[in-house]
Amino acid sequence: MTVQSSRSSDNPQPTAIRLAADVGGTFTDIAAFDAATGEIRYGKTLTTPDTLVAGVVDGVAKAGVGFAGTGIFLHGTTVAINTLLERTGARTALLITRGFRDIYEIGRVNRPDAYNLYFQKHQPLIDRALRLEIDERLDAAGNVLVPLDEAQVRHIARALADMGIEAIAILFLHSYRNPEHEIRAREIVADACPGVFVSASHELSQEYREFERASTVAANAYIGPGVASYLDGFNQRLGEDGFPGTFLIMQSTGGVYGVTEAQRECIRMLESGPAGGLIGAKVLCRRMDLADAIAFDMGGTTAKAGVISGGEVLMTGASMIGGYMTGLPVQIPMIDIQEVGTGGGSIARLGPGGALRVGPQSAGAKPGPVCYQLGGTEPTVTDANLVLGRLAADRFLGGEMALDTAGAERALKERIADPLGLTVAAAAEGILRIATTAMAHVVRRVTTDRGLDAADFALIAYGGAGPLHAAMVAKELRIPRVVIPHSPGHFSAFGMLAADFRRDYVRTWFTRLATAPFDELERRYLEMEAEGRASIETGRPHLLDVVVTRSADMRYVGQEHAVTVDLPLTLFEGRDTAGVKAAFDAIHEVRYGYGAPDEQAEIVSLRSSVIGQMRKPPPEPLAGGTATPPAAAGRGARPVCFDAGIGHVPTATFARADLLAGNVVAGPALIEEYASTTVVFPGDVLTVDETGNLVINIQRA
Amino acid sequence: MNDANRPAPARHDPVTTEIVRNGLIAATEEMKQNLMRTAYNMIIYEALDFTVGLFDRDGNVLSIGIGLPMFIRGISETIKAKIRHFGLENIHPGDVLLTNDAYITGSHLNHMTFSVPIFHEGALIGFAGCMAHWQDIGGTLDGMTMDIYSEGLQMPIVKAWRSGVVNQDILDVIAMNVRLPERAMGDLKAQIASIRTGERHMLELAQKHGREELLASIDAIMDHSEALVRERVRAIPDGVYEAESFMDDDGVEAGKRIPIRVKVTVADDHMTIDLTDISKQVKGFYNSGMTAGLSCCQVAFKCLTSALDYPLNDGSFRPLTIILPTGRVVSAEKPAPMRWWMTFPMTIVDTVFKAMAPAMPDKVIAGHHADLVIASVNGYHPRDGRLFIYVGGLIGGGWGAKLTEDGVSGVIAINDGDTHNGPSEQVEVKFPLIVEEYALREDSGGPGQFRGGLGTVQRVRATGDFMFNAQIERVNCRPWGLDGGLSGAGNQVTIQRAGGEEAFFPSGKVLAEALHPGDRYVLRSGGGGGFGSPLDRDPAAVERDVIQGIVSRDMAAACYGVVFDEDTAAVDPAASDALRARLRAEGRPDDDDGLTDDGRRAQDAAARADAIRSQAGHGHAHHHGHQHFRHAHVRPEDDYELRLQLALARRCC
Repeated sequence: MTVQSSRSSDNPQPTAIRLAADVGGTFTDIAAFDAATGEIRYGKTLTTPDTLVAGVVDGVAKAGVGFAGTGIFLHGTTVAINTLLERTGARTALLITRGFRDIYEIGRVNRPDAYNLYFQKHQPLIDRALRLEIDERLDAAGNVLVPLDEAQVRHIARALADMGIEAIAILFLHSYRNPEHEIRAREIVADACPGVFVSASHELSQEYREFERASTVAANAYIGPGVASYLDGFNQRLGEDGFPGTFLIMQSTGGVYGVTEAQRECIRMLESGPAGGLIGAKVLCRRMDLADAIAFDMGGTTAKAGVISGGEVLMTGASMIGGYMTGLPVQIPMIDIQEVGTGGGSIARLGPGGALRVGPQSAGAKPGPVCYQLGGTEPTVTDANLVLGRLAADRFLGGEMALDTAGAERALKERIADPLGLTVAAAAEGILRIATTAMAHVVRRVTTDRGLDAADFALIAYGGAGPLHAAMVAKELRIPRVVIPHSPGHFSAFGMLAADFRRDYVRTWFTRLATAPFDELERRYLEMEAEGRASIETGRPHLLDVVVTRSADMRYVGQEHAVTVDLPLTLFEGRDTAGVKAAFDAIHEVRYGYGAPDEQAEIVSLRSSVIGQMRKPPPEPLAGGTATPPAAAGRGARPVCFDAGIGHVPTATFARADLLAGNVVAGPALIEEYASTTVVFPGDVLTVDETGNLVINIQRA
Repeated sequence: MNDANRPAPARHDPVTTEIVRNGLIAATEEMKQNLMRTAYNMIIYEALDFTVGLFDRDGNVLSIGIGLPMFIRGISETIKAKIRHFGLENIHPGDVLLTNDAYITGSHLNHMTFSVPIFHEGALIGFAGCMAHWQDIGGTLDGMTMDIYSEGLQMPIVKAWRSGVVNQDILDVIAMNVRLPERAMGDLKAQIASIRTGERHMLELAQKHGREELLASIDAIMDHSEALVRERVRAIPDGVYEAESFMDDDGVEAGKRIPIRVKVTVADDHMTIDLTDISKQVKGFYNSGMTAGLSCCQVAFKCLTSALDYPLNDGSFRPLTIILPTGRVVSAEKPAPMRWWMTFPMTIVDTVFKAMAPAMPDKVIAGHHADLVIASVNGYHPRDGRLFIYVGGLIGGGWGAKLTEDGVSGVIAINDGDTHNGPSEQVEVKFPLIVEEYALREDSGGPGQFRGGLGTVQRVRATGDFMFNAQIERVNCRPWGLDGGLSGAGNQVTIQRAGGEEAFFPSGKVLAEALHPGDRYVLRSGGGGGFGSPLDRDPAAVERDVIQGIVSRDMAAACYGVVFDEDTAAVDPAASDALRARLRAEGRPDDDDGLTDDGRRAQDAAARADAIRSQAGHGHAHHHGHQHFRHAHVRPEDDYELRLQLALARRCC
């Protein structure tokens, strides 16, 4: 990866407080770093869907800080993705090249659910009647075949404004090659419809594939007015609370951007919460000197996995929002996070012939697992954990919620164990093993599918259920080391504290590598970089360094799918075509099992990221102790089952808050904290590191 | 899996079985991803015209990728033939077995089918296989073929690698016989990488769970699938169910219909599909082999009984018997031409659904467009003078309505599954063509209480002198409705000559037509059939369709009996009630009422004048039953079509 540095002339003053707020579906998490004391404080409140700001303000108070003394406020939010998934966005229209208004509805015509006659496809965010065709056309080289009919654009824009349209998206064919028509149409629309949110596709994606680009710009326009006013409202509230600092928004790339950019390019914040977790994992890797790690986030309904490879978070160029079958594509760079519908609430059921299935049905929070006593009757992953003793009936959520062990046992026995002729413990263990393999497959999707071997990685587990299942997932993948970070329930907010400014650019440019003019390459990269540097200028007082990376999407001539290849600056300095080719051959070999050094390669797209580095909170040292945990940390022992063939064994239990750096705990053991429990299997050994992370060395099977 | 030599498997463990099941699904998914991302031709990487799978040591399906339904049997039957050919004792680690024998794969010669045996500690535990469509396999480029020899290279069952050593002679023979050898060799590499991935996964499963436990789990998975399917078949009332449809012609004897008759017998937990009365093999290239005949029966059966049960495995098909004598159009014998093998089986699947409609109305679907709607253009690229072969289209069409839901619009036909069209921006980068329009085909959905999905239309302009071929079926046998629903529009292909008229091809076959700069071809895919009487459709749903411009007011009146107030553009309930009563009394509407505007045009000389007019602008066709075209000097506010759309848009959302 290329690194160009330019040290900022200003030496940014560390401001008193850096604040991060991760507003999720259920909880709002706050992390606050106080530079004066070097301390990080956390707050957690229930998300308040109607007035999200109120929840944040509440959480900030809980963390014992205030906006008045805050220098930087970093915000991750589900407002964008929820608007999209819940379909509560603006009345939006699409202006599109004549002949193509239906491409947004036709999509790619695929039918992944191939035998299901009741299959569904994606539902556009913009009705057909509001998709209007414009006379204009470019060819694939960007030449004008039909000039833009400006009068038509103006007329339509006015008519749309008259009918109360709140947002207008623009997509013209081949605008990735030549955006002039989109730029002009955007100007006309903005002029004709003041107050209407306008978005043109090239502002978000300059990659070919018209359906994906249309879907991206449509989604941006659809969520735009809502997100923009949310941020306005937030900004206003911050002003009222005397916030003197810089308000930054988390993107799906794990970088932040300013409010102005965020209000225009709303689509970039879709996955800001999960991205925070990956940034947290990256920070942890740097501190622990780990080059490669898998970030594993498990909650009540889903498990998510992302990868840090060579110290960097692995990205993807596009994603289907809402799933592969019926989701809407968004074609922008983002962290590659794969998800599976396995969580604590996943239901275990018997199918015909006695097949045991876990999920995809989930009991969710309501009726929830049987043991919650909220009406759930079918056994879940959480019930299995309780029956095996891994969760304590009287210590769940710090004892706030008593769990019904007998009910969980009864459900497991009647619905699973008896019909299969298994003991209850064997049935519970089986459910966890099946859930574990499902989660291991999702980890493989981000590793094996890229030619990486999960066994070479450390597993960083967080989220409420992550620490409970981490060791099992690690064993399944032959991962030798598990890390449970400090405050696993606040990990995304913690990660946001360490975020950098970031802008990502992609330009489709088809050229044979062998004949690629390096001057032209250089010019295009410099263009992207200049744009990026200008864009992060708002963050100037906080920037330490600006780092620029270059990469290119490449393929063998004749192939379609391209691989992203990092391009070190030295290759450009030496105009080293052979070096670029060798880098591509090597990554193709890793990813797909073969490289073809004798074959010609071509460039499809150029990518550049401009990163404005900011000061990170330093690690918080934990008071040191000896290998033996202090007596105060002990919570006694209880019977826990790690192997149904052996049964329940007495297992030492510790309170995480009272453990000291250097403590060593040999499995079997449980480490309990407010919202999660870490399971240490017999044979595995847990060590508390200097900053309070739990590091488990997994015994080789 | 009845092999006397195999030790009796231990009683399977339900947990391991489920873990193995998930493992098999993940393995085939990764094989698919691997091939898709490394393939060299658009038919594999975009159309995903391939299937990968894992098989037991007898060649039975353990898990196949859910890419392409009609490939459900292809690899399995090929592996069985390979085992028969060599004998198990002569298959060794490191062998790569290959054939494209059309009478084994059941399909055309483009389907190069590779498989590797999987050995665990010296014992054969199964096979990994991959069947993928190569862009060119030799043979004639244009026109009709009359026997297999004119369709290209036939590769018998061979070992492309012997115990890990490449058989270069074989690869040289292939390279010599195909037009795009670099791409062919690229696809070959990609296929082999994919089956190696499957092999690795299977070995990991054997390593982790033990060979015997793995094999026992696989037996259990197949037993579970069988149990599920038996339960579903038992729920179908016993009886004999028959249906009939037809194909337009075989491309040789123009206009001579080809009968498709199916008979389904349900007895307790068993189903028999009898294709004895289907047409004999035909002269044109629409034949397919026995494997395809079996495939279409299995696809229909799977859709009706266990669509969501994965992995797709042969346990599911134990409760199904298929009766299919040789020499039929889907069990053709050498040297029947097979190039367009995939078309007829799709209609057979639809006809099985039609037969079963009275027995299981909530599971079946009305007829769909049942054709890939592809066109091929070849020639020399003006940019570099090199040969290009563009297989375009795959535009997706309408699917049938169901008992409780409208049909889906613009989706690939039953032959294919996770198949993608090519982005127009990509087509224009690679090929000397301009895509002028790609849109939903208005009024094409079959009227019904639940409306059929819409077909699509794609118009493409040539920028040089090229050859054009299309083999569209189901132009005249339109996708039928069920339970009083009407037919959707049929498929269609036309050519609009630069400065000339639009030529309609009455049965969809265009063999070796020359295109000149400025000539356009137009593909129109059919709409799905409707379900239930259109006079029972909720008027609010008809109004919504009219506002969205997918049903014209003319059709709303003629087929749905729904009338709109001229001033408010809202449904006029009184007038609608009266019209519906009248239509009911007249025993209407019927399929002719539902014939789309461009359907009529195909038979109507007036269409020619319209085509000439639409040449004048960059012609946008037929809106709301009106012919319309655009002049550059039309002021936007005077533009009828635009005004209409904006007026309608006011009322939506």
